[in-house]
Amino acid sequence: MTEYEIALEIDARGSFCPGPMMELIKMIRQAEVGELLALLSSDEGTRNDVPAWIKKAKHELVEIINLEDHDRYIVKKLH
Amino acid sequence: MKNIVVVGGCFAGITVANKLVRKLRRKDAKVILIEPNEFNIYEPQYVFWGFKKYPQSKFTKPMNKVLSGKVTWLRTVATHIDSVKKQISLSNGETLPYDYLVLATGAKMDEAQVDSYDDDKIHHFYLADATKKLQDALKNFAGGTIVISPSTVPYKCPPAPAEFTFLLDTYLRKNNLRDKTTIKYLYPLMRPYPEARVSEKVQKLFDKRGIEFVEFFNYETVDKENRKVISLEGEEIEYDLLVLIPPHMGHEIIIDSDLGDREGFVRTDRFTLKVKDQENMYAIGDCTDMPISKSGAAAHFSAPALIKNILLEMKGKVPTKKYGGFTVCFVVTSFRRSLLLVFSYNYAPRKFGLHNLFLYGLFKKAFKIVYFKALIKGYL
Repeated sequence: MTEYEIALEIDARGSFCPGPMMELIKMIRQAEVGELLALLSSDEGTRNDVPAWIKKAKHELVEIINLEDHDRYIVKKLH
Repeated sequence: MKNIVVVGGCFAGITVANKLVRKLRRKDAKVILIEPNEFNIYEPQYVFWGFKKYPQSKFTKPMNKVLSGKVTWLRTVATHIDSVKKQISLSNGETLPYDYLVLATGAKMDEAQVDSYDDDKIHHFYLADATKKLQDALKNFAGGTIVISPSTVPYKCPPAPAEFTFLLDTYLRKNNLRDKTTIKYLYPLMRPYPEARVSEKVQKLFDKRGIEFVEFFNYETVDKENRKVISLEGEEIEYDLLVLIPPHMGHEIIIDSDLGDREGFVRTDRFTLKVKDQENMYAIGDCTDMPISKSGAAAHFSAPALIKNILLEMKGKVPTKKYGGFTVCFVVTSFRRSLLLVFSYNYAPRKFGLHNLFLYGLFKKAFKIVYFKALIKGYL
């Protein structure tokens, strides 16, 4: 497994409101350009939401790591 | 005797202080609340208040009506927390020692970040003065494009922008302005509400009422001159009247005391409500970075775990009581109808329609009474 130097991480497992996507957007706003962020989510909907938003917002989805009961999304802020 | 200090006296701080004095004997602990404001505002009223003028006293109570006489109220501002010396600096120059500390400082509406709320076309409904300004703008509105958007996430009460939009639609219909008005709802996600199933319902209502939804719109800035709101994603939307939910931040005391994340929200364990990497320190409500909605309901349902954990610590035990993320959310869909959502860390929102007008009317009227008579006093 690749080791990443994560600047910010949010555990959004079990978060339905505001939800994992809102937590990711919050992190992107807080982060500096070039920093790596990690989002933990157990919500299956996040698998569609994160790639769609990353594409629209023009950041980089570095990796989705599928773990036993949740996924770990590694995102890089590009601008 | 232990000193338990609560910093912040809005709903979360007051209800925790009231519950604590009920659980503790006076000889065991003194509960002190630090809050400079002498009134408590029932904030859920703001979304309705934007559409109709009436005195703020209808949804405001003086502190002595909601805070137990057994709580020592310091009407001052806490300016710094020294977690090593376990003491709080106050604006009057004094310091206050604590054995246990509860942070309930809430979220600050950082209007300065937008730097446009003085414009007569840009509004919000999260503070009293701003809501009064919005009342005047709506009264004078004769048609055009109204745009509703959050400015940042997180913000208090996630459904509030959608609620405002539904109420606006009803208001415009009543005033024969709906056919002269385009309503655009901008939202950071690909759907109009965070949770997919609830979002389907919201989208159906938007479609039925002709409300335009713009997905993936994350506010970046506003061009006042050309009346355009611009997103992080590069999109530009024109408006005649913009309702922009203000940026939310943690308060200076959290930032200055190095207890928060980069936006000043307290780093809090979402189960025990303990402040991370701190001893004898807890946080509750809108000031935390917990992945739950910033709402009075979430504060209400998480308070028992916090209190139990302080009581355990006072007995020399490990604070093991866990908050399961349970909360309820009341989503207004018109002046007469609403949805009630119930959810926790373990299950997605379950929705219940409160479309019986009698029940809804009863609930709406009763809830403010329940808030002031029971919830804030810590009886429930």
